[in-house]
Amino acid sequence: MQISLQTYRPVILKFQSLIALLLLCITIGLLSDKFFTVANGWNVLRQISVNICISVGMTLVVLTAGIDLSVGSVLALSGAIAAGLLRNGIELPANNLYIGFTVFGAIVAGILTGSVLGWFNGWAITRFKLPPFVATLAMLTIARGLTMLWTEGFPITGLGDSFTFLGTGWFLGIPLPVWISGGIVLVTVLLMDQTRFGRYVYAIGGSESAARLSGVNINRIKIRVYTLAGALAAVGGLLVTSRLDSAQPNAGTSYELDSIAAVVIGGTSLSGGRGSILGTVQGAVIIGVLNNGLVLLNVSPFWQQVVKGIVILLAVIIDKSSTKGE
Amino acid sequence: MNKPGLKYGALLLLLAVVVYHSVYFKKLDEVKAKGARTQFDATAYADAFWKTKLLPATTKATDLNTLIQALKTDKDQAFAAHSNAMSIGNIRYFLVKGQGKITAVRDQDVTVSLTNGPDIIVATEYIFGNAARDASGLISLTEFTNTMDLNNVSAEINQIIRKRVVVPFKTSVKTGMEVEFTGAIELNQAHLHTEAIEVIPISIRSVGT
Repeated sequence: MQISLQTYRPVILKFQSLIALLLLCITIGLLSDKFFTVANGWNVLRQISVNICISVGMTLVVLTAGIDLSVGSVLALSGAIAAGLLRNGIELPANNLYIGFTVFGAIVAGILTGSVLGWFNGWAITRFKLPPFVATLAMLTIARGLTMLWTEGFPITGLGDSFTFLGTGWFLGIPLPVWISGGIVLVTVLLMDQTRFGRYVYAIGGSESAARLSGVNINRIKIRVYTLAGALAAVGGLLVTSRLDSAQPNAGTSYELDSIAAVVIGGTSLSGGRGSILGTVQGAVIIGVLNNGLVLLNVSPFWQQVVKGIVILLAVIIDKSSTKGE
Repeated sequence: MNKPGLKYGALLLLLAVVVYHSVYFKKLDEVKAKGARTQFDATAYADAFWKTKLLPATTKATDLNTLIQALKTDKDQAFAAHSNAMSIGNIRYFLVKGQGKITAVRDQDVTVSLTNGPDIIVATEYIFGNAARDASGLISLTEFTNTMDLNNVSAEINQIIRKRVVVPFKTSVKTGMEVEFTGAIELNQAHLHTEAIEVIPISIRSVGT
């Protein structure tokens, strides 16, 4: 009996991300004795938690055949708003009133900020029929500018132990950011697989006109998707701010690229309608392991960018060739 | 109650609970008064540090000629023995002293030819950076709750140098003058250049004729 590569092609294609991750881990593990250590494992998981939060939202957007370039700036503004309100509150001199924010209040304000910015993205895209690329590119600049205005270009620091616990704490022996990102993944998987909303998202990405003719309220679903993406970017922003005990005005710069990379490597089609949250998680892990491995192997930061770019390119080429004829 | 009424009622209740746990109200003047009491005063800190720690520490400063020789003989040992820094990295600071003759006076600095040693530069215009703050190793990072306070201390120490050291010195400086100085220098352990050492002065005075 002759067994050819062709026999295993469907299996290889189905698990291509996992196979790539496995090969990557083995290669880095062979080259660095620090890679397969428990401390490094937690380090990688903690680092990718932020990217997972953003990438899950990005996956929903990409599934509708859209893109959100503003997530990095939204992350920065949300983190800065939360930190600013927690640290300084709001002063109303005319009424001799000071409104202070609890840690819970600051978190709510941060997520609300991300949600509003995401909603605005969705509204601009659906109301004015703007290409998502253009609308979210504008938001990238707007949110970054607002972050600079809010922080006056300086980091907001000294946020307190309760707030920093969010990004640095442990629960049941696992870093809290891993629990948070894991919870987000679980809820989103259920949302996409078990609810009408999830089916509509896939339907819009597959064929917007067919979805419209089937009675799907395209605009409402898109606005919800962008709002969700903004809220998840805000959660990422809170994790970053909390981990650093500081809201940096330039936080999240180029995070959108890592996020898009995770989505693409995870097998989600940029033309929409095909992909999964779990695939994106695999993509985020691959990006995280790659980043970690390149640092452990002492590769120059300039070369790291080149390598990451090539990996993304390869992922898209493989994805294209594997779906040829579909 | 009908269904939408229940829905909006529940939402309103949820919103009220969220707001109740999110914010608290105080009188602004009370908050400001408390803030003024607890706010870090970088000027006062820098002044106290200058008088009680940095100036006394200059009596134990390393002779610059000796340091340059040590750096040429065994760089790593010299850095380990004489340098200080708050952060990790190759940039480290030294508290130094020296004596020599001024051979050139410019708007931004003077050249001092060290007695039995090479020429060095003493800054007299651009007093920036963390050299004066970190060279003595007497400030600990744990004293500060945030990096802004730490940076402000640096800025205030540099301001003290500009006012109390540089201004009086510049009024009397001239070529040929013999001077005695203490100061702080910054060196890069990975890329060491001993031929272009610039001293941020902590004290500088004319000696002899």
